[in-house]
Amino acid sequence: MPPRQADDYADESDSDIDILEDSGNRSKKGKGKAIDRSKKDKGKGKSSEQPYAWEASYTRSWDTVQEDEAGSLTTAVADLLARNRRRRLLAPADAIRRTIIRHLIIILDLSLSMLDRDMRPTRFDLSLEYAREFIVEWFDQNPLGQIGLVGMRAGLGERLSEMSGNPQDVLKAISERHRLEPAGEPSLQNAIEMARGSMGHLPTHSSREILIIFGSLTTVDPGNILETLERCVQDRIRVSVVALAAEMKVCREFCDKTGGQFGVAMNEGHFKDLLFELIPPPAQRALSRAAGAGANKPDADLMMMGFPVRLPDTSPPALCVCHSELKSEGFLCPRCSAKVCDVPTDCDICGLMIVSSPHLARSYHHLFPVKPYQAVTTLEEGSAFAKSCHACARSFPDAPLASSTATAEGMSPIGRYRCPDCQHDFCTECDVFIHDVVHCCPGCGK
Amino acid sequence: MKFFIDNLPIIFPYDRIYPEQYAYMCDLKRTLDATGHCVLEMPSGTGKTVSLLSLIVSYQQFYPTKRKLIYCSRTVPEIEKALSELKRLMDYRIACAETEEEKRKEKNFTGLGLTSRKNLCIHPDVSKEKKGKVVDARCRDMTNSAVCEKGRANPGSVELCDFHEKLGEKEPGNLIPTGIHTLADVLQYGKENGTCPYFTVRRMMPFVDVVIYSFHYLLDPKVAEQVSKEMSKDAIVVFDEAHNIDNVCIESLSVDLTRPMLDSAGRSVTKLSEKIDEIKRTDASKLQDEYAKLVEGLQEASDARDEDAFMANPVLPDDLLKEAIPGNIRKAEHFVAFLTRFVEYLKTRMRVLHVVAETPLSFLQHLKDITYIERRPLRFCAERLQSLVRTLEISRIDEFSSLQKVAAFATLVATYEKGFLLILEPFETENATVPNPIFHFVCLDPAIAIKPVFERFSSVVITSGTISPLDMYPKMLQFTPVVQETYPMTLTRNAFLPLIITRGSDQVAISSRFEVRNDPAVVRNFGSILVEYSKIVPDGIVAFFPSYLYMESIVAAWNDMGILNEVWKHKLIFVETPDANETSIALENYRRACNNGRGAVLLSVARGKVAEGIDFDHNYGRAVIMFGVPYQYTESRILKARLEYLRDAYRIRESEFLGFDAIRNAAQCVGRVLRGKTDWGLMVFADKRFARADKRSKLPQWIQQYITETTSNLSTDMALTLSKLFMRTISQNPNENQTGISLWTLEDIEKAQAKQKEMALEAELRQQDERMEKDEEYGDGGIDDQALGEIDLDI
Repeated sequence: MPPRQADDYADESDSDIDILEDSGNRSKKGKGKAIDRSKKDKGKGKSSEQPYAWEASYTRSWDTVQEDEAGSLTTAVADLLARNRRRRLLAPADAIRRTIIRHLIIILDLSLSMLDRDMRPTRFDLSLEYAREFIVEWFDQNPLGQIGLVGMRAGLGERLSEMSGNPQDVLKAISERHRLEPAGEPSLQNAIEMARGSMGHLPTHSSREILIIFGSLTTVDPGNILETLERCVQDRIRVSVVALAAEMKVCREFCDKTGGQFGVAMNEGHFKDLLFELIPPPAQRALSRAAGAGANKPDADLMMMGFPVRLPDTSPPALCVCHSELKSEGFLCPRCSAKVCDVPTDCDICGLMIVSSPHLARSYHHLFPVKPYQAVTTLEEGSAFAKSCHACARSFPDAPLASSTATAEGMSPIGRYRCPDCQHDFCTECDVFIHDVVHCCPGCGK
Repeated sequence: MKFFIDNLPIIFPYDRIYPEQYAYMCDLKRTLDATGHCVLEMPSGTGKTVSLLSLIVSYQQFYPTKRKLIYCSRTVPEIEKALSELKRLMDYRIACAETEEEKRKEKNFTGLGLTSRKNLCIHPDVSKEKKGKVVDARCRDMTNSAVCEKGRANPGSVELCDFHEKLGEKEPGNLIPTGIHTLADVLQYGKENGTCPYFTVRRMMPFVDVVIYSFHYLLDPKVAEQVSKEMSKDAIVVFDEAHNIDNVCIESLSVDLTRPMLDSAGRSVTKLSEKIDEIKRTDASKLQDEYAKLVEGLQEASDARDEDAFMANPVLPDDLLKEAIPGNIRKAEHFVAFLTRFVEYLKTRMRVLHVVAETPLSFLQHLKDITYIERRPLRFCAERLQSLVRTLEISRIDEFSSLQKVAAFATLVATYEKGFLLILEPFETENATVPNPIFHFVCLDPAIAIKPVFERFSSVVITSGTISPLDMYPKMLQFTPVVQETYPMTLTRNAFLPLIITRGSDQVAISSRFEVRNDPAVVRNFGSILVEYSKIVPDGIVAFFPSYLYMESIVAAWNDMGILNEVWKHKLIFVETPDANETSIALENYRRACNNGRGAVLLSVARGKVAEGIDFDHNYGRAVIMFGVPYQYTESRILKARLEYLRDAYRIRESEFLGFDAIRNAAQCVGRVLRGKTDWGLMVFADKRFARADKRSKLPQWIQQYITETTSNLSTDMALTLSKLFMRTISQNPNENQTGISLWTLEDIEKAQAKQKEMALEAELRQQDERMEKDEEYGDGGIDDQALGEIDLDI
């Protein structure tokens, strides 16, 4: 499932491409995704019609691309695509300490302003859709993490799902659209306080994060929201906001003071980019700084974990401790032998953290992302050059691309990107694919 | 950083400089070199004050002829801001100075700010008084020279101000250490040393290099006489935030009299006569002395005792000052009788129940016919009253303020024939039945008050963020500027978006024109603009209406239409009222709502307190909406008279002046949201008349440059789409480096200077070429223009 999922993501994340290859993309999406998605798409199409044409501004897609000498747009499109992808890889690669065990509460805005159609089909539908994709991708890269969901509706904070390490549980909570129908005004304070309350008991080695998808421009609070901000800073909760309309002072302040990220989505593609930027584990820098000199330990903390015994399907059924259901399959806690349904989780009886070793390995793998490949700028560097891409075996072009736009920073004019470790060359597409999807260099295996 | 403009070394207290600041300084220097006047417009929030101060101080320090800087600002906070900016600049200059000698020179540079006694008093009792006038009067009672003499001769007989006494012991000109002192610093120094801060500043005025005070100290002749008399002729005068300078000038020469004021003046006259009788019995020689003095002449009578600043005459022509006070008011009892007659005459005039408008000349004629009061004694009324009050040693002069006003009125009316008008309005409003007469003596010509300033000082700088169109000011104030410049704003991203909405979503044109302003369609469309913007704008919105009256009627209509309820869902609503306290509470809560994310709308009035002096930076004002063009109330008789005068005297058409005045107020309002280069906001002009070229062209250059064709004629929904897009774009994290584009380092300046030189050289060459070409073309034997003109005439 992961590769297919990611494939899909690679297809749609870029809005420019969406405009140009609309029809092709649509059909691909239907194929790539499970059937339930396509069904939902249809349902949406019926329930909410497209906005009036004159409400939208012109999408001057033709202004952003320029024809090459042959009058073809393909090179320009490829350039745009490649540049957008490379940009994300240019992040600083210095050593930072990252958190493996993450706890995230996603706060969804369910106020009336989410029914605005400036993002298609509506802000609400779009953010639900992206939230689903986000959750799947998040669990893929952070298998030891847990996610909870809170909704802001009619001035209240509603708990949509408890903190859980099981993506299915979380996804189920937002699968039913009619239960989340937007109403009233949002209350940031109520929602954040609720999220904060459910994270208060967490141990210090785990990160506490809140992600707010915020479409409204107002918040109706019972008290002073700035006090809530103080408490979040004290509890070292990192608040990130993805706003859908404009910058609000409070939101910006929350992000700045707690070390989170703040972004305002320009369009659908940018919205997704902003969300997915939050998937890699955050650096622990801000956390240790907030803790002060006392907690500034350079070495790792030790923490207790248990690897459970997996019960086969044929084992005699027994009640599980988490749902009190009669089941035959499950996992046994190594310390107290209680039976739980799913890992990773905290044992309900003894509180031990139960993980499976593949989870741990996967987390560990994602802690060290593939190093950004260096763009090869000229062919005249003396060493021998491979004729074709090391990954897909497609041959490289001999002459540099004529297009003048290719000279942007981090772009290779001849379409070669080299791994700093194994010195193999890769083409643009593979470069992006390896970093976004495979998370493993085919040349050196790291 | 340090750089050179021509040969003048400029020390600028920041590492970077905006290009427009540099241009501003260059033009300012040209003005100072030419010893002329200038009008400069620079966008708000681009560091106007610091560039002004930095250039002028550099100029003062570089040239041996120390020209004093008189910097006039509008409000006390602004004075304080300018002072602290100056202090920072001087600290930087001291740090920059290379040699010991230079350092000493910088340290000797002194700057002070002057404000009223009320703000500067530290006397334990007096400073507790709430009214400025009372503080003034009580202070004078304790500090005027007669009382001082008495108190010193016979300690304990009268109450003296210790702080003032202590000041007297000090050597004049050395009352406070050199350096820059903000108002707070002066207060602190006064408290520590037990000296009076107010008189410290007043007496230090001739000795300091920079004086910062409010407009009135220079423009209001009653005050200017006392405060600004000693300013040397080569001083540099700066009027900052001068977009309303004409109104300040007019106000300073206008007098309004009401019935209660006249009654109180009458009582004061009675009191005076009682006092005279009393003095006659006890100390008749005093009055004799005064009489003798008056015979000698006015000039000697008013010696330079600044404490006795009670009432000075408005600008009297110089020849008048040398004349002696006419005989019929020289004697105290004669003068009192004279005043009684005059006050009674005014009272009878007030009984008229229809509107009267007349020139000063006809007023004087009528006055003479009825009461036989001549023009000449009337002229000396204020002077004579001052002298009398001094002789009688009257305390608590604030009780005489009405009489003082009447005397000032008498002097003014007898002095000026042109540019003034007397208007008697018996009723407050059109349909009031109870008379509440007001006697307006209005000045119609702002040039009269400011004329002495222009004549006296060699360089006068008039500057503001919104002072377009520039040629209007020289015309109105009657002066010829050497430099007249407006600067665009360089921004790395479009930090604000001006939008002109001409029609609602239903395509009905919107306008605050009188005929259609209460049309339900227009009211509804205005309302829908507010509702829609309250949905899409985060934090604060400020909405401006042309007048209180219109705001009241439209808000009432909105309430009935349910528009307010709709807005309430998204933002809280606050309203500015004429009451200052109420407004400041509203403002405080408005700020709170903007900070905690609830969002708020502030409904206020153009020309109100909010539009003039309150900044809505960052989240306090993300959008400003102008509902309608803020024209003045054209039915006002005073305005009508003024328009007529402007037409006759300066050939400024009525519509031209009204349009200019409306647009400058609109620009002032929308300028409130953008207070710096990191700030951003929307500017919405909701009236179809803004789309007209004659209105748009009057907006300041820096706003105009961002009004494109597409944004100049929008319907509500189109404007909303644009606004949404703008807000998304502007909310992206700004990461571009502004250096080089809108922030210049030293190298950038040098580069620009080199380029300028090159261009100048090129232009010169080209000119030479052209001249040669011209010479060739026309050669000799051509007829010059003048000759041609004469030929035409002959035919």
